[in-house]
Amino acid sequence: MARRGAPVDVVGVGRTFALGGGEVEALRGFDMHVPAGGFNALIGPSGCGKSTALRLVAGLDVPDEGTIDMDGASPDQMRRGRRIGVAFQDPSLLPWRTVSTNIRLALELVGRRHDTAAVSDLIELVGLQGFEKARPAQLSGGMRQRVAIARSLVTEPDLLLLDEPFGALDALTRQQLNDELQRIWTARGTTTILVTHSIPEAVYVADEVLVMSPRPGRVVAHHAIDFERPRTRELLLTDEFHAKVEAVSGSLHRSEGQVVRLEADDS
Amino acid sequence: MDRVPPRVLSAAVGLIVLALWELLARTVYAGSYRLSPPTAVVVDFFEFRDLYLRNLWHSTKTAAWGFLWGNLAAIALAGVASIIPVLRRSIGAIALTIFCLPFIAVAPILRLITGPGNGTPIALSALAVVFTTYVAALLGFDLAPGSALDVVRSYGRGRFAAFRRVRLRASVPAMIAGLQIAAPAAFLGAVVGEFTGARSGLGILTVRALGSLNTDRIWVIALLSTIVATGGYMAIGALGRYLCPWSPALDLGAVPTPRQEPGLVNRLVALLAPILVVFVFWYAFLWVFQIKPFFAKTPFDVWAELFTNADAAETRSSVFGALGTTLWTTSLGYVAGLVGAMVTAVVFILVPWLERSLMPLAVALRSIPIIVTTPVIILFVGRGLLTTTAIVAVMSFFPTLVNCYAAMRRTPEGILDVLKSYDARSVANVRNAYLPSAVPALLASARIAVPTSLLGATVAEWLATGDGIGAVMVIAFTRNDYNVLWVSVAVLTLVAVVGYWLVAAVELRALERMAPGVSR
Ligand SMILES: Nc1ncnc2c1ncn2[C@@H]1O[C@H](COP(=O)(O)OP(=O)(O)OP(=O)(O)O)[C@@H](O)[C@H]1O
Ligand SMILES: [Mg+2]
Repeated sequence: MARRGAPVDVVGVGRTFALGGGEVEALRGFDMHVPAGGFNALIGPSGCGKSTALRLVAGLDVPDEGTIDMDGASPDQMRRGRRIGVAFQDPSLLPWRTVSTNIRLALELVGRRHDTAAVSDLIELVGLQGFEKARPAQLSGGMRQRVAIARSLVTEPDLLLLDEPFGALDALTRQQLNDELQRIWTARGTTTILVTHSIPEAVYVADEVLVMSPRPGRVVAHHAIDFERPRTRELLLTDEFHAKVEAVSGSLHRSEGQVVRLEADDS
Repeated sequence: MDRVPPRVLSAAVGLIVLALWELLARTVYAGSYRLSPPTAVVVDFFEFRDLYLRNLWHSTKTAAWGFLWGNLAAIALAGVASIIPVLRRSIGAIALTIFCLPFIAVAPILRLITGPGNGTPIALSALAVVFTTYVAALLGFDLAPGSALDVVRSYGRGRFAAFRRVRLRASVPAMIAGLQIAAPAAFLGAVVGEFTGARSGLGILTVRALGSLNTDRIWVIALLSTIVATGGYMAIGALGRYLCPWSPALDLGAVPTPRQEPGLVNRLVALLAPILVVFVFWYAFLWVFQIKPFFAKTPFDVWAELFTNADAAETRSSVFGALGTTLWTTSLGYVAGLVGAMVTAVVFILVPWLERSLMPLAVALRSIPIIVTTPVIILFVGRGLLTTTAIVAVMSFFPTLVNCYAAMRRTPEGILDVLKSYDARSVANVRNAYLPSAVPALLASARIAVPTSLLGATVAEWLATGDGIGAVMVIAFTRNDYNVLWVSVAVLTLVAVVGYWLVAAVELRALERMAPGVSR
């Protein structure tokens, strides 16, 4: 498998927001290491700072303390080098563009607007053939998510950041997209960080699952996931899989200090 | 720059503008009858305080009566349109036609009915608020929650009960937003009514000052009008926040235009019914007020004057020739105003400190009826063709700027984040996110600006330039040529209505193209 992409080293990061006169400390002492070509999942209670952490790694925001390093480059340098792809929970497509021109937007922004082959490859990869000319309003929620993922991939970034990209979807579509995500990642080997609310999803797709504490968020548990790849849906039924899910859920439970339900659709 | 509080910044900018104004007036424009220095304006106000206050009070009273009657009529119309949906299109057509009337030329016709007193300014002031309040009220009635309506229906009660118990209540926030816009509009109507003759009021005072080139007086009147109109706007806004603090600000400019039902018959009915209704109203107006045939012209008289009378060719060439001039100067100003507003909005987006210092001014200027400051612009620009263009540009500029900037600000954060994650340059942000986000607001503003631009143009021509159809109407008015006056009013109204619908059609197309299936 062609491993490509940048390793990510986050050390002692803190971020505090001003909020209506008061302050909200979103992250404190947040550490994370993702090897080059690795696939990490970030999980934690709502409001614990997952999105904040991802935005910091994407160079969309700056930490108040701590360092983020990617093979010698800062997030801002990575961003300016256009080496990052992001997809958020809200697919954030341009409503006035079609599926293919939405994907092409990323290419236009990195100065490769004529790379039509890349666009059609990605459309095929995410299974949207025949919908090239459709506009976002004419797509289902899952299709829109796939467009957003295709857009984040089309520039062949060295780092892929996914913030609950499947958050609003039903369990079945979600499982399909997890399979696709795994396939794409296996094919491209891009360093990937996935934020999710779903423990089974994290265990299913990632190399390592990081569990965060409630706000101020930091990583309190690491779970290496070494199931064979490609992982298939049969895996979901195995005892080993359930044991992992239990283990992660136990960490989350301890971190939250409250009972956590195990359903996949707990978002 | 980023740390200065907005209030301080605005105050500083205001002081700088005042100082520059004073300097310019005392140097470059000294003795030119164009620009009065602020100090002279203040001195003149205090010297003739009684005169100003008496006339201001008179115009304000007029506007208040017009505000009352016009809004009552508009809300009643909206109520009927809400209870009897079949009538919606026809009532809407009447409201739009009223909005498209060239008020300045309607004044002499109204004066036939009301006599020389205060009736005409009051009537015009009422007409000036009908359309916006009608749209706002109807929007409010439509916003009523469907579940509450279902409850009323589940008790076997009809539309009227639903209207009285649910819709009327639900419409309060939209209604207040409409009344807010109506306050300066009523003032505008009153002043325009006085332009063509009144015993007292700021309008007639302006006309006299223009005649004697009393520059200071014209500036004082413009400022007083601005203060009163803005005051009314803000007072109703404050009342609204007090009455329903939970309601978000409504953007009435963005009211979607009604969709067309499919089918040729439906389309024909949709097109013809409103025209028929307008004609019926026209006849009803002449009949109810029993206007003498010398003054009263029916649609057939207008048709005959234009196409079958002996001097029809002559009338046509004078009216349409002048109309051509008016349309040309107006479109120049219209396009300049819209383009300028878009460019300014983009600049404000890219240079936030500029926005923070100038936007409050733009918001204040949007709420004033620019028409009451027409005399000032006439003074400043002179009496050429450019005057009309300048007035129309200024009139369309401010509302478009405020609406488009607000729309650009509403660009979803997620889209901006995606662009930022690729380190997009400002140009790319503007092209990919801000401009497309502002297109709906631009088109809505452009639609509303069609009638208001024509109104501004005819006022300018009537008062100053001696060109275009405004001048034709003035001459017809002074010669008691009611044929030409009616013809001009009819043609201008038709042009405004058609222009409004053309922009509306473009708007529907664009919305459909940009985001198919998304109802805004
Ligand atoms: N721009 C901001 N300004 C102020 N506070 C913010 C900002 N962004 C995040 N926060 C605060 O930081 C905390 C963490 O937010 P964040 O969005 O990172 O949580 P999250 O873990 O992604 O939550 P969720 O799982 O619900 O998406 C929250 O309390 C939030 O209110
Ligand atoms: Mg989040």
